[in-house]
This record gives sequence, C-alpha cells and structure tokens, in this order.
Amino acid sequence: MTKQSVRLTVNGREREGSAEPRKTLADFLREDLQLTGTHLGCEHGVCGACTIMVDGDAVRSCLLFAVQADGCDILTIEGLEKDGKMHPLQEAMRDCHSFQCGFCTPGFLMTAYAYLQEDHEFSEPEIREELSGNLCRCTGYQSIVAGVQLAAVRLGKRQEGASS
Amino acid sequence: MRFVGESIPRVEDRRILTGRGKYVDDLTLPKMLHAAFVRSPFAHARIKSIDVSAARATPGVVAVFTGDDMRRFCNPVSTSLAFGVKFPEFYPLTSDKVRFVGDVVAMVVAESRYEAEDGCELVAVDYDQLPAVADYDDAIDPTKPALFDELGDNVVITNAPVSWGDVDAAFAEADRVVSASLRQHRVAPVPMETRGSVADYDASSGELTYYASTQSPHSLRLQLANTLGHPMERFRVLANDVGGGFGLKGSVVREDFCVAAASRELGRPVKWIEDRNEHLIASGQAREEMVQIEMAVKADGTFLGMKAKLIMDAGAYPNVPFVSAMFVGLMQLLMPGPYRMKGYRFESSVISTNKAAYVAYRGPWEMETWVRERLVDIVAHEIGVDAAEIRRKNMMLGAPDDRLITGLTVKGISSRESLDRALEYIDYAGFRKEQEAARAQGRYLGVGFATFIEAAPGPAEMRPGGGMFGGERAKVALQPDGHLVVTTAQAPHGQGHETTLAQVAADEMGVPFEHVRVVHGDTRQTPFSVIGTGGSRASTWATGATIVSTRKLREHVLAIASGMLEISPEDLEIIDGVVTPKGVPQRGLPLAQIAMKALMDPASLPPGTDGPLETHERFTGEGITGSGWSGGTHACTIEVDVATGRVKILRYVVVEDCGRVINPAVVDGQVCGGVAQGIGAVLYERAAYDSEGNFLTSTFMDYLLPTSAEIPHIEIHHLETDPDGAFGFRGVGEGGAVVAPATLTNAIDDALQPFGSRVCDQYLPPATVAEIAGGASA
Repeated sequence: MTKQSVRLTVNGREREGSAEPRKTLADFLREDLQLTGTHLGCEHGVCGACTIMVDGDAVRSCLLFAVQADGCDILTIEGLEKDGKMHPLQEAMRDCHSFQCGFCTPGFLMTAYAYLQEDHEFSEPEIREELSGNLCRCTGYQSIVAGVQLAAVRLGKRQEGASS
Repeated sequence: MRFVGESIPRVEDRRILTGRGKYVDDLTLPKMLHAAFVRSPFAHARIKSIDVSAARATPGVVAVFTGDDMRRFCNPVSTSLAFGVKFPEFYPLTSDKVRFVGDVVAMVVAESRYEAEDGCELVAVDYDQLPAVADYDDAIDPTKPALFDELGDNVVITNAPVSWGDVDAAFAEADRVVSASLRQHRVAPVPMETRGSVADYDASSGELTYYASTQSPHSLRLQLANTLGHPMERFRVLANDVGGGFGLKGSVVREDFCVAAASRELGRPVKWIEDRNEHLIASGQAREEMVQIEMAVKADGTFLGMKAKLIMDAGAYPNVPFVSAMFVGLMQLLMPGPYRMKGYRFESSVISTNKAAYVAYRGPWEMETWVRERLVDIVAHEIGVDAAEIRRKNMMLGAPDDRLITGLTVKGISSRESLDRALEYIDYAGFRKEQEAARAQGRYLGVGFATFIEAAPGPAEMRPGGGMFGGERAKVALQPDGHLVVTTAQAPHGQGHETTLAQVAADEMGVPFEHVRVVHGDTRQTPFSVIGTGGSRASTWATGATIVSTRKLREHVLAIASGMLEISPEDLEIIDGVVTPKGVPQRGLPLAQIAMKALMDPASLPPGTDGPLETHERFTGEGITGSGWSGGTHACTIEVDVATGRVKILRYVVVEDCGRVINPAVVDGQVCGGVAQGIGAVLYERAAYDSEGNFLTSTFMDYLLPTSAEIPHIEIHHLETDPDGAFGFRGVGEGGAVVAPATLTNAIDDALQPFGSRVCDQYLPPATVAEIAGGASA
C-alpha cells in the first residue's frame, strides 16, 4: 500500500515519517516514532488507554489515522516531564499510589491533564464523571480520583480541604 | 521496622508515570515478524478443508501455518496438573474440529501486523457445522456430539460425594431444610493489557527467548519447552512490565506455542499482540458454576448441616497448566465457611462446552463464598431471623479448638470481629430504620454483608513443608557497593512487589530502602515457582522467602564484620547500611567495605566465612504466626430504582484482616480493585453465549467494565490481628473480588424484599432487577 508523508509536532519536536493511510496514529507514534508510552487497550475507542492531546484536546489515538494528524501538535505521556522533573499531576499520582499495573496510566494521565487545563470544581463526583471514559481494571479508581484531586489542589485549581 | 507499615511511594511509579514502562508490545527486535490468527466463527464444526494459497501470496506475508504444520513442530499440549480430569489430545492449532468461537485455525506471519491481518482475511476454511454444546444441559445430553471424539462425552470429571460429620443425623434433626439452586455467570478477568509475546529463536546457539506478558514465567517455560520439545538449557522466558493479569496470565494459551514454534521455524523473532476482540473471545473466561444446595436448620436459626452439588462449565479446551477442575477442591473445602455445623456433603462434576477455556480469576474458588453467604441470607429470610443475628449465632470465634466442618483449624480467625465492626461502621441498626422510612415513601434501600475466609497461607496443617508448591524461594545478594539485589519468584503485574519486597528486605538487613533492587521475571535468574504471582501468595510466601534469605545473608555479613572488628556478632547491628558495634556508632563498617573485602581479599576473611555474599533460601512457612487465615466482612448499602432497575451503591465498607500490612496504600489498592471487579461481575459484566454457542460480548461496548462513575468510594478498615508476628503478613489480593459479589447481591435482595425477592442468579443487570421488582423490564 502506498505510504503518505506525515509531519507533526510531538512533545515540542518536529517529527516526520510516512505511513499507509490505514495506519492509526497510535501505531504511528508507537512504531514509527518509538513513543511506546501511549498504550493500546482496545483499539475501538472505549478504554481510553491511548488518549493523547491533539491540538489541545484529549483524543483517542486508536481512532485517528496517522495521516489525519498531519500538521497537528501532539502531546503524549512522554512530554509531561520537564527537565527530568515530573509534572505536578504525575507527582500527585505517585503520591496517591494512583496506579498498579500501569497499562491504563497514559490514558488517564492525558485525560486528567486535559481536564486540569480547564476550570472546574474538581469535586470527587465531578472527577469520577470526567474520568469515566477511561477504563482501569486494577485500582477500582479510588486512588486515581484521589491523585487527580490532589493535583488540582497543587495546581491551584481547587482549595485544599474543599468539601467532597 | 522503618519501612514495613509505611505507604512508601512505589519504585515502579516513576517509569509507568513517564511512559517508560516496558510492556511486551514495546519490544522491537531486528528482523521481527508479526503474527495474527485465523479464528473459528463457529462454536462447533468439522474442518473440511483449509486453503492458505491466497494468504501466502499476500504482500508482506512470510508464512502461513495450519494445524497440520503445528502437529509437525510440536508435541500435544499436556500438563502434570490435570487433577484426574479426562484430558484430550490437542495441539496448538486445531486441525480436525473447531470447538468454540475463536478457536485457532491458522497463523499468518508477516512483516507487519497489518499485513498479517490481510493474510488472515484470505485464508479460506470450509466448515461442516455440528450441534453446539452450549450449557450444562447440553453437556449431559447424550444426543449432543462430544467435543473431543476420543473422550466419548462432555463430562470432564465426576467427583464422588465427600462427607464430613454426620450429614444424615444433622438433616434428621432439622426443623427446616432450605434449598436453593444458585448460579453464577461467566465473567472474564480482562486485564487492560491483552496477552502477547515476542519469541526470539537464535539459530546459532539454539536458544529460544520468549518475552511474554505473563504472571507465571516458569510455568510458561515448562509448558513451552515440553510442547515444543525444546531443551530447557536453551529456553528462557522473560517478563518485564505486565499490564494486569488477575489469574488469566497464569495460563499458557495455544497461541503461545504457535508464536514460539513459528520463531523457531522461521529463524526470526515473531511478535504476537492479542487484540481486544481476540482477548474477549478467546483468552479465557471464568466463574461459570451452578450449585444446588440444602441447609438444615433449627427453628431458632442454628445451622445443622449442608449438602451441595456443584457443576462447573470448563469450556472447550482444558486450561494449562492448572485445569480449572482443581478449583472445585477449594470450593468444596471452604463452602461451609466459618460457621458451625454438624454435617456437610459435597459432590461435583465438571463439564465441557463450546466456549472459551475456563481460566483462573482472582479468587478462583469465589463460588463458595457467594453460595454460602447468599444461602445464609435466604435461610434467614425463610425462618424470619435477622441476617446479622443468624451469622452471629453460628459463626466460630476462632477459639483454640475451633475447626471448619471440613477439618481445618481456625484458631484466631477474626471473622466475627470483622462482622461486628462492619455492621458498626455501616450503622446497621440505623440503616434499618432509614430503610423502613424510605419504604414508606416508595424508595427501596438495601443493606448487604458477607464474610469470607481465605487460606492465604492457611493453617499449618494445610501446608506441611511449604504446602503443595513447596513454599517459595528468594535470592538475596550483597553488591560490591553495599546495596542488595532481591531476586523473587513472584512475577508482579501491578502488585508493586519491587516496592513491598524492598521494604521488607531493607528492614531485615538494615539498609536504606533505596539500596534494594527487586529483580523478577527472568527464568534464568529467578527461583522456580509454578505460580509466580497468584493465589495471594506474595505477602506470605515471597515475603517469608525474602526475610529468611536476607536474615541468612545478614548473619554471614555479621560473621565477617565480627572478625574484622573483633567484636562478637551479637554486639553488632546494621544501621543504614553500616555494621556498627551497639552503642559505638563511630566504629562502623560500611557494607560496601565488607563486600569488597570478601571479593578482593577472601584469604583474610575470618575462618568459615568465605563464599559468595548471596543466599538462596526456601521459606517453608515455619514461623508463621496467627491463624493463617486472611478474611473479613464487607457491607454495603444501596438504593434501587425499581422502575429502571438501576442500583446505586450508597456506601461500601470493608473490614479486612490480612495480618500485618506492609504498605497500606498498596494493600488498599488491592482491596479496592478486587471490590470493583466483584461489583462489575454482579451489575455489568457477562461473557455471554447464545444457545448456539455464538459469543455475544466481543467488544467493550458489549462486555461492560465498570468505570469511575459506577464504583463507589470504598471505606477500608484493617484489623491487623497478630501485628507483631515475625511472619504475620497474609494474602490480600483476592479477598475483595471473592466477597464483593455476595455483599452486593445480598444488598439488592434485601432492597427487593417487599417484592418477594429471592436472588439465585449472581448477574443482576438493570433489566433483571426491574423484573424482580415487577416493574417495566428493559
């Protein structure tokens, strides 16, 4: 099958490659750009493990073709750390023991990252609703919800000790 | 103790939070090929012919293998852990018949996964359909064809009745005999990472390296080497980060053999990553059992006896290495639970159907807890005794001579304390009043609770010499810089053993936590374990092994230091990696100095201390204190919308006793995860087949996993009985999943009492709940 060229910005770097039109963006990131931090849990858009930021929105990279992302600005889990220091969201999730096996982690991080860009209440019920498009099988979600809430506090998005 | 008992941040977290985890699909090897499988669309059919010529001609396709090829490459799949079941002859790919939707018929190997799937599209298989064996009734119907011709029928094993106590006398004494037929449905473990592997055969050395997403590397190696007929000195299994397993990844699947055989045949690395559709269809499912049970009771609620007859649906192909029939033995042993009774009889059979294999799933014996705790509630309702009171009346207190009716000692169990505490935390009495008031307003609240006990590790008589798996080993080695490497037989896949075992070793040795590295998942380095991580074994067996090995290493180090410092070992301690005379810290000797002396100048060591500073001890369970039983009680309150059947969980309380807690955050994570799976099983999840054996839930739009919006906040309380025992850690991985289904079904049944509810099926989706309530069913 004929390949088409794909140019995009990933985690602040210009990247270029070529992909068959049928190749998903997730596969392109993982195979062609060796960015294996993005995971594939279902390849049909339900589990959310492959969530990345595309032009500022949280998007499922298994549901986009690489050629559709030509010219886009992409952020993946590998781009959250700056100068060897984890993003406050990552630190909060470590401090809350948010994850176990780590497979769903990139999707939750990117979904939560997008959520934390906006202004919200960051109450427990709201966080649970916002994260409900991502599946985790290990944790029962409690520690992930706690991690996002702690990040919201540390990022100044929520008052410490606010109700619920 | 400086680290044990603390929620130390996990060693694993930095890599998984920054995208640096190394899961099997992240591995790329030079010249690597990709495999995909052609699977059966039919539940039961004979294969008339397979034409692979078009597939072989597809661009990028390197090879297409069929069942006949695998018969040449491999021995039949076998196991030494068949537990007396009828074990058919079968190969990695089938060639005569397909036996479930998803059965593997052909394997296409290509330069890319996309091209391998192109090839699969072009494999033409001609089938002759057979009647499907879709359920318990079909399996014992003599007019239905046997799945495996040579086995004659579809009954895998029939176990004769086993009795304890005087069952007939117990039933003769009864005022009432309450009977029920209780069914639980197929669900699936569903780790977020599917199965997958990369096989790398090196033709120059004859070495086959198999990278896998597994929780049992040694079992995988044994099974693969056996079926491939490959010498084990040239067979290594490696598991790096593994994205969940829950029992499923202890199984060795037929695709594993195919991937390894293909690499050996082609002389190139072959990767296979199962997609989610394949996973749901074919990787294995669990829990499908039915129990007919009778309980003999006195009018006042005193239990007298129990008779149970269980059938398990094991699916088509036997699970290896552990056939699922082995779990029946645990169900038999534990079904009466911590309740006094005078007689108990259990009989069972395991049947085969045209479904995916029955695999282990987090607490594979869970049926015993669900059946017992559901039955106790049914009995309570039928004789008009409160569900809490009937439990209190019959529950053992853990007195020195207390034994389960099946004979196991339960001295020191905390079932009763956990029940009392759970009811207190949920405010049982208060909630009953609230429930009554709500009912008057047409709102239906319910409260449910259930108690479990888990033999993790079990009382001493269950594990002579380390039990059926011979205990567990660990290696501990002092490095030249004074740091420690602990090599464990565990194969963690989310449990955080790199953290928890390091906490234990650091405390035992007297070194900083950061100085301990835990190594796992490489069969060339790790001690043998047929299980790896499973059976809630880590906190008892792996911890014990780490302690005894570290202790022996410490003695060795102190013997050397004693000679160097001319101070008796009893007067030395190790603090922060420095051997120090008690009370004279300035005379300390860093471990690095001792390690280097042992390496560079062994001739000057004190007599009898030469030798590697490395230990490899086996923990046999000696020194385990306390009852040996993990356990606890869960309680939850719910509200049911009787019009829609929606169940809203209001509160979920856990009172858990897993002995001494190593890392509270890790333990709580295990509990919450298990509870979520139990809730999912009751309200959302079902691996559904129709009466023709067609599989109906092959995507995440059909097989529904609970999300953060469905799982409630879970309140956890630890009893930590025997917190000071040296080996006081007990298993915690499975209990949540074991007892949550009983807790929630009891609450739903309680809420629906005004409608005459008597829940006997564990699966309670909205349509069923609404139907029980007599409302509009969806």
